[in-house]
Amino acid sequence: MRECNKHIQEIADYIDGELDAKLCDDIEDHLKGCKNCRLMVDTLKQTVILCKDGEKEELPESISSKLNEAIKKRWEKKFGKA
Amino acid sequence: MNEKELVKKAQSGDFEAFSLLIEKYKNKIYNLGLKLSGDRHDAEDILQDTFLKAVDNIDKFRGESTFGTWLYAIAVNAVRALHQSRKKAELRPIEEYLPSGHGSGDDTKELFEWGDPHELLEQKELKKVIDDALAEMPDKYSAPFILRYFEDLSVKEVADSMHLSVAAAKSRILRARLALRERLSEVFKEKANERV
Ligand SMILES: [Zn+2]
Repeated sequence: MRECNKHIQEIADYIDGELDAKLCDDIEDHLKGCKNCRLMVDTLKQTVILCKDGEKEELPESISSKLNEAIKKRWEKKFGKA
Repeated sequence: MNEKELVKKAQSGDFEAFSLLIEKYKNKIYNLGLKLSGDRHDAEDILQDTFLKAVDNIDKFRGESTFGTWLYAIAVNAVRALHQSRKKAELRPIEEYLPSGHGSGDDTKELFEWGDPHELLEQKELKKVIDDALAEMPDKYSAPFILRYFEDLSVKEVADSMHLSVAAAKSRILRARLALRERLSEVFKEKANERV
């Protein structure tokens, strides 16, 4: 598969475990002999792992209580007393 | 009580039920806004807009998608409205993020090997590179990517929230992923060169 680039969506599906078994075998065969595709798989995988590593921020209490107030007001306008 | 029951109760005017839904999703929506805008004030606006619109339209929710998917769709629209005036650079076509994008065959450039990124950058710096890159991207790419990998939605759910076909959602997720991969690769290469 000299035309590796044409298969990038399949490679991404393969990484995410969303590719049929048959195509997975094809990709794995190809990876054995193609360093760039191996590097692409590794770095695309890591890109998502690094994203998931980052901590989520906690919603600050002040914003949360402001939010609740605004929602309650809107709710009462729509449904009457909450 | 499961989510469907909570939504039903909320639709009939039960504020307690709606409050439980807010509790479940407020942090997620806040983080989504933060990632898409890169700005705390914007994230606060997006959060508030999303839930107020959810109140206004709660009776229109028919349960074709999950409540979460429906809420994310509102949030993505809120971001779009907020960012309408802000032009962000369009991403390049997928081929141009790939190694032989400009040549073919034997003159293919070899990709840079990352090794262990944590040896090159601290966690905090890594997070900043990722956050900045996502905030710079047009929402139509960053939103599907974030929903897929930060919020762990399925591709189908991403497609539903963004009103896209599954194929289009996949392609946008991939484009964002490739752009982010390239940015990280540049940063790692730079860091590695500084060390030598
Ligand atoms: Zn290859």
